[in-house]
Amino acid sequence: MNFINFIEGVLLPESFMESRFFVILATLVALNTVVYAALSIVHVIPKWFKPSWLRGRRPRGVTRSIYPDGPK
Amino acid sequence: MTSWQKPKNRKYQGLIGLLVLLTVIGAFIVISFTLQTNDVTLTQPPDELLVFDLFTVSYSWQAPPLFAIIAAIATGLVVVVTFVGLELRDANLSRRSHDSIHKKLSPWVLMESTQGVFHGEVTLTALIPAHNEEALIGATIRSLMDQDRKPDRVIVVADNCSDGTVSVAKSLGVEVFETVKNVDKKAGALNQALGTLLPSMGENDTVMIMDADTVLRQGFLASAIKHFTDDRGLSAIGGLFFGEDRPGLLAQIQKNEYTRYSREINRRKGRVFVLTGTASIFRARALRTVAEERENLLPGLKGQVYDTHALTEDNELTLALKSLGALMMSPAECMVETELMPSLPTLWRQRLRWERGAMENIATYGITSTTARYWSQQLGLGYSVFALWTYFLLIVLQLISSDVWIWYPFWILMGAVFIAEKVWTVRNAGWKARLLASTLVIELLYDTLLGIVFVKGTVDMALGRKANWGDEHKHKIPRHSSKEHPAAKHRSSEHRVAKREGKH
Repeated sequence: MNFINFIEGVLLPESFMESRFFVILATLVALNTVVYAALSIVHVIPKWFKPSWLRGRRPRGVTRSIYPDGPK
Repeated sequence: MTSWQKPKNRKYQGLIGLLVLLTVIGAFIVISFTLQTNDVTLTQPPDELLVFDLFTVSYSWQAPPLFAIIAAIATGLVVVVTFVGLELRDANLSRRSHDSIHKKLSPWVLMESTQGVFHGEVTLTALIPAHNEEALIGATIRSLMDQDRKPDRVIVVADNCSDGTVSVAKSLGVEVFETVKNVDKKAGALNQALGTLLPSMGENDTVMIMDADTVLRQGFLASAIKHFTDDRGLSAIGGLFFGEDRPGLLAQIQKNEYTRYSREINRRKGRVFVLTGTASIFRARALRTVAEERENLLPGLKGQVYDTHALTEDNELTLALKSLGALMMSPAECMVETELMPSLPTLWRQRLRWERGAMENIATYGITSTTARYWSQQLGLGYSVFALWTYFLLIVLQLISSDVWIWYPFWILMGAVFIAEKVWTVRNAGWKARLLASTLVIELLYDTLLGIVFVKGTVDMALGRKANWGDEHKHKIPRHSSKEHPAAKHRSSEHRVAKREGKH
């Protein structure tokens, strides 16, 4: 067996890329890639935390401090 | 292990693998169905471009149709929002609970019991479990004493030491607790020490559990004590861990991983996934309550803080505290330098133990409001493995079945997005971190390794294979103080590696 014949036996024919399996796999990978790219963008965007004046929190009834007269 | 745990563990141990499998099959079915009803074929003939009259480049503007992109993004966001929602729901349930039977550590329950009474200033007792650590224990103790706010007590828990650990600790003026007939390694040693320590501790006394080869960054203790002082409802603080200063590609890969993890915790406003075993601080009452509730609300043996059956005892303790409604956090100032695995085999063993431990822990606790987030995390991990491997499979199939290399600008753009994210998330960790991230492929290969660990862990567990870690229970690489002489660092490394490999 010469080298060229060996390679042809191992490589897939170009028509494989039009097979149903390949098309489903390619579509699945494409969609997964888009989802993960979207998640990557979410990771990069700085997280926005509401400033305290926007939260409109009522003052606590009791202090959380270990000192009974600590700030509420 | 208590009698109620066993059936629960069996019932859930194959569940993660099954859920991942079902999700993957579901994805295939949805795609096949969509392809039958819509034309989203990805095989259009490419165009050709002649570059400088020298060579031809094949390219294609082909991209998934807009509806598919929108549907994919929407699915991804729905999954993320669901995962986050599950976690927030549990956090809010605990935060607002007044249930002193099942949520004994919820902030309200703690605050109601201490209201209007001053129980003394916050104190901190550091416990350092050590098994033959004479080479490193000195540096660890000194790093603790170098903190602006020093601990009130330092106790070295010497577990079956046959070297000079005890004498080194005593020479530095700290207390030593020697374990008696302990066969349960670190968890067992800590259980013995905590058993004598906790009963006499008050409401504002805290205990820090710190590994013998860990270095705290300046400001850790001061920040933690301020948080415990300002919040009577706070039960625990976990360190944010960063990689130690170690050269090499494998070390840099792990450093990047830890940098991203810490960034994520900061973006979550300090809400922790796991209270790290390397350095975490607990309100004494929280640990006492966990010990009391074992065999009742929690797995393990009654009276023991740590469940000695857990492979990852720090992860199990986190679940125990969360199940009891405890409020815990990782403030940005509480940083700790953690060990990095020096070789692929040690890294493999460490990650397999973490993965297997995490899965066993959630299998033991079952599906509860508290564990829902951790289950979904495992499911997400499983799907990521599938996504990455099918991506590699597609590239290989395309390479061996296509005559020409085709450039797809859309997919190049996607690749650029991934590189940008990888680099941005380690931008503050130095040029080496950014350089590594910019290659993308190295970190993808590392993700592949972690994927293999996940699959092995899942399959082993589903088949009921026993995890046998032997002396690998504690995988630690040499640690050193930054003040130590470089030659001493080297000696320490050799000592630790030799010890780990069982040569000593």
